[in-house]
Amino acid sequence: MSPARKPGARREVAAVKTDPRERLRRVLFLVPYAVQHRGIPVKELAAKCEVTEKVLLEDLDFLLGVGCPPFAPDDFLDLYVEGDRVYVALHQSFSRPPRFTESEAAALGAAAQALGGEGKDRALAALRQSVPRDRRKSFDELMGRIYAGSPPAPGSVLGRLQRAIAERREVRLRYFTATRAAEGDRTVRPWTLAQRFGHWYLYGFDLARDRPLPFRLDRIRECTLGEARFEPPSAAQLAKARLFSETQGEPVRVRLAARAAAWALSRPGVALVARDEDGGAVVEVPGASEDWATRFALSFGGDAEVIAPASARRHFAEAVKRSLARHS
Amino acid sequence: MQKAERLLDLAAFLLRAAEPVSWREIQEQFPADYGGSEEAAVRKFERDKAELLELGIPVRWVSQDEDLPAGYLIDRDEFYLPNLELPPEDLALLYLAGSAALAQGAFPYAKDLAHALNKLSFAARAPGASETAALAARHLSSAEEGEPGRAGGGALAHQLEELSAAVMAKKRVHLAYQGAERRARTERDVDPYGLYQSGSAWFLVGWCHLRRDVRTFHLARILELSVNPAAPRTPDFAVPESFELHALATRETWEYAIHAPQRCTVRLEGPVSPEARASFGPRAQVREEDGAVVVEVTATNAEALLRHVIALERAQVVAPAQLRQKARAVLAGLAERLA
Repeated sequence: MSPARKPGARREVAAVKTDPRERLRRVLFLVPYAVQHRGIPVKELAAKCEVTEKVLLEDLDFLLGVGCPPFAPDDFLDLYVEGDRVYVALHQSFSRPPRFTESEAAALGAAAQALGGEGKDRALAALRQSVPRDRRKSFDELMGRIYAGSPPAPGSVLGRLQRAIAERREVRLRYFTATRAAEGDRTVRPWTLAQRFGHWYLYGFDLARDRPLPFRLDRIRECTLGEARFEPPSAAQLAKARLFSETQGEPVRVRLAARAAAWALSRPGVALVARDEDGGAVVEVPGASEDWATRFALSFGGDAEVIAPASARRHFAEAVKRSLARHS
Repeated sequence: MQKAERLLDLAAFLLRAAEPVSWREIQEQFPADYGGSEEAAVRKFERDKAELLELGIPVRWVSQDEDLPAGYLIDRDEFYLPNLELPPEDLALLYLAGSAALAQGAFPYAKDLAHALNKLSFAARAPGASETAALAARHLSSAEEGEPGRAGGGALAHQLEELSAAVMAKKRVHLAYQGAERRARTERDVDPYGLYQSGSAWFLVGWCHLRRDVRTFHLARILELSVNPAAPRTPDFAVPESFELHALATRETWEYAIHAPQRCTVRLEGPVSPEARASFGPRAQVREEDGAVVVEVTATNAEALLRHVIALERAQVVAPAQLRQKARAVLAGLAERLA
């Protein structure tokens, strides 16, 4: 019997101020993860759980007090840290995490719905099956309560890209290049998909251009899988990876009337520079191209104009002139 | 015993039990926790069961049969996360979509999403390539240092967390809201029916007690938010069966109900980018004509269509004539200011 161990462990726990529910969810993952990855470094396990090493060590202390009746020594969870590595000696049936809760499955499901792909329905059905039977109705209901956007490309294009990423196979793309307003073929090693400012991108190594580049998914007309395989990018290559090039030169500034200001400021990436007395505003959009700034200002009808830099204002003025000519 | 510890002890106890455990035995094994009056002890145990279920741990009551006594159990098959048995490309979909969503910094049930992504590594047989790609997706999708909106992400993330919990528990919320057009601050109670994202902004949809109608609220304009704290496990409202979030969320701006339906024609001179063509939504009729693309839509907010069209390269409003005139007037006004 080890009743002495339990009160001791409780004293440790009392000093810790963390969200108890979050802690429970975390430990239900970290115990099986440490079982599966024997001797995982403390640092790595903390990073995986997205907590500091201190919080992780507090979690491990807390777990030492967990067990089941009759609370004999072998009835407790037993974990230890040796040489900054975590070992689980007794897992007390926590060798695998519990099923997805309905909100875990629904959050992942809503994200998957918004990306799409041929396998979307299979993935959603599998998620549903992984929720406890009693909570599946609640999962269905929740899936109807969150909508994170529409897929950016046809299911077939996305399905092939997802397969190519999973199998590390090169792809051939039929791609529309906006700056040249023309379609062309690209051969790419697809590294990943990413989403910024409401747009999805394929990020991968363009063989002809000999460098990694982003490709907007909604500009990919066709995608075919090649036979050639590739090695995954190195950690150093990925650390350097950016979807957009470094911001250069003077940022674009746009003046907005009061009616447009609230809408503009609620868009990501738009920073307020000055507020007018009448509720209007001047905003700045670092890294925005002249093309983007023109479209952005025109999307507010007559309520916005590009004011700086001079070249962006000229670009805007010319677009207005061309559009006016088309409507005359 | 602390609650967190008691819940895990109880789960470990029921997982190890070879057969269903009677209420009496549970009380004997946890005398300090389920002691006292029978009524209070039962209530506490029921609350613990509900909390375990919220963690994905179903505690079930089974009636006595020929082989087994009556009691509580955790069915191991119902407890452990199963393998998802998905082909690699479907796992890649889940990994990439989940990682990119998490990196946005604001997503409904973001904490749950992080747990779900962690659990995926148990549910997948060989997730290697997808896990690497997911790390890259997260890195590339995250806001960068010094990027506008990065600081504001925290407030939005917090609002989304509160609202998603209120949507799930069906708890009424109180909002202080700033209108877009009149910029006036109003206060109102809302029954939160759902959350949707459109053009990278998040919206709440719900029954507005002030306007007595279903309304949409831009999260960036919610100035203050509080969730009814009373009886957190008891719903405050029911969502009508006829409510369809998808229909509301996929409305184009020119489909907002401002005036009677009006058929509108837009012409885009080639070459037309796939995203410009797709930007008119799934209900648009699109046809090719002499190298150009002609789009027909039904608008109930024609001004929004006008704004959309003039922001596109090589596009013009063709019909109705009145809308074309209006486009001309807007552009002429801008040209005059720019001259």
